[in-house]
Amino acid sequence: MQPVVHFRNVNKSYGSSLAVDNLDLAIEPGQFVTLLGPSGCGKSTTLRMLGGFETPTSGEIFLDGQEISKLPPNKRNVNIVFQDYALFPHLNVRRNVAFGLELKGMASDAIHKRTMELLSLVKLTDFAERMPGQLSGGQRQRVALMRALAPNPNVLLLDEPLSALDAKLRQQMQIELKSIQKTTGKTFIFVTHDQEEALTMSDVVVVMNAGRIEQMGDPHTLYAKPRSRFVANFIGETNFIEGRLKAIDGGLAAIEWNGSVVHANLNGQSPSVGNTVAAALRPEAISVLSQKPSNTIAVSGRITQSIFKGDHTSLTISLNNGQSVVAQLDPVALSAVTGDDVWLTWRENDAVVLAD
Amino acid sequence: MRSYFSDFPKTALQASYWLFVIYLLLPLALMMAISFKDANFVAFPIDKWTLKWYAQVLQDKQFLEACLYSIFIAVMTTLFATIIGVWIALLISAEGIMARSVIFALACLPAVVPGLINAISLRIFIRVLDIPTGTGAIILGHTVHAVPFVVIMVLTRLRSMPNNLVDAARDLGADSFVAFMRVTLPYLVPALAGGMVFCVLTSIDDFVRTFFLGGYQTTLPMLIFAKVQGGMSPEINAMATLVLIVTAAIGLYAEHFTRRSRM
Repeated sequence: MQPVVHFRNVNKSYGSSLAVDNLDLAIEPGQFVTLLGPSGCGKSTTLRMLGGFETPTSGEIFLDGQEISKLPPNKRNVNIVFQDYALFPHLNVRRNVAFGLELKGMASDAIHKRTMELLSLVKLTDFAERMPGQLSGGQRQRVALMRALAPNPNVLLLDEPLSALDAKLRQQMQIELKSIQKTTGKTFIFVTHDQEEALTMSDVVVVMNAGRIEQMGDPHTLYAKPRSRFVANFIGETNFIEGRLKAIDGGLAAIEWNGSVVHANLNGQSPSVGNTVAAALRPEAISVLSQKPSNTIAVSGRITQSIFKGDHTSLTISLNNGQSVVAQLDPVALSAVTGDDVWLTWRENDAVVLAD
Repeated sequence: MRSYFSDFPKTALQASYWLFVIYLLLPLALMMAISFKDANFVAFPIDKWTLKWYAQVLQDKQFLEACLYSIFIAVMTTLFATIIGVWIALLISAEGIMARSVIFALACLPAVVPGLINAISLRIFIRVLDIPTGTGAIILGHTVHAVPFVVIMVLTRLRSMPNNLVDAARDLGADSFVAFMRVTLPYLVPALAGGMVFCVLTSIDDFVRTFFLGGYQTTLPMLIFAKVQGGMSPEINAMATLVLIVTAAIGLYAEHFTRRSRM
């Protein structure tokens, strides 16, 4: 399938600093794609280049096969939902949503019909005549979304649109956004620094760092098989296993760590035996045993902290090598307390070797 | 409310305020009272009341013509000053403008140059260019004086405008002109209304510039000045009272309007 959006070797620099570094990114139509990264990673610049508010220093951007990097924003069939909504304060909800349709020269009864349809999609028909200043944050959010969808863009761009909402409303909007994306079948490109948001909504997450793509994939793959230390750290909580690579055997790496030899999935990497390697291990993948198991490799340590978090208990375990490891356990099944000597095990494939 | 000077007697602050108000309002009240006096000279006490001065003023062709002339000049001044003022404000707030503060200072200079100096320099200027005194010259003088007020009001409003409103309009298909007409200009309405009222009021009130630049036709302040020269009479009080009421009403309404539409 032809990608709906294609960045080809796109660079963007401001003076001597490189905001986007040789970006190559193809996005399939109909997907919910999230650009995820810390502030300054280039995700917003990427979005603004697609919207037409920044011009690439070099490279090409294709929208539906057409090169658009030099076109002004009004000539591109993409629309943006801005971070602070950017609703026109002098127009009521209906006129805000109709704005793009009016500029398309649509007949006024057709405009009215489409506007009311869109507003009913987000249950705002009763608010059609209100001014933006009279709406709550969540309502403004929905109006901004419908205003951007109204002209029927190929791709909808969302620039951290949920960051101004409180936690509960944000979760609700995440689900709503996802369902609107499914109903309309449009390509959504969503920019955020919130990894939870990215995991909740996306078909594809593009993790960006320092202007480059660190890793791209579906949320499950990114979480379970992070390629780099950056991705492992940025998405969820992670323990790092660092040590000399002793051997490679059947897709598993044997790593000398804390006086034992532990195993980790090679994760597509090909490190050389004898070098130091790092692997990531998620806190919930760790089992904590009070006795050394006989049938599997285990690492010994002592519990130094135990924090009850409701659905899980977070244990900090100090290893003999001085490193601390965090494990998440079911509070009901947990009997160990702070000060206990314990043994840690995990399934070999739950630890994954990282590229750096 | 926070209280500054908490050790200062409150009554002293209140007393000084009321002294100020009396000083401000008493002369105006006196002027208005005498406009109802049934006698040919300006003095107290008022023993007989009348409305005849108002009747006389409203039938005074000279007065009505002066009013119309002043209004005409005010409208033209407002028109030019608003266009020029908005234009300068947009220039100053545009991205990547060099010497922004210099442009701003130059645009605001006419507001602080003494009226008399301004008037004399304009008079010399039009003499050099061979422009006749009269309506055109007056409008020119008033416009120069009014522009800074429009610039300041529009700039203040522009600074409070979220950057991405124009971006949003562009994104939804507007070219830069349409975005300006449909988003920026409506956003500026309160500032424009305030600035325009200011233009009208300063123009109607202006005496010095009109005096130096005017021709044979008299504006309202010129007429009142001429009448005062011919001797005080309650008729002048009636005229002044009418002007006061109308301008105060416009000013207060404008203030109310800009306050309400502040978003």
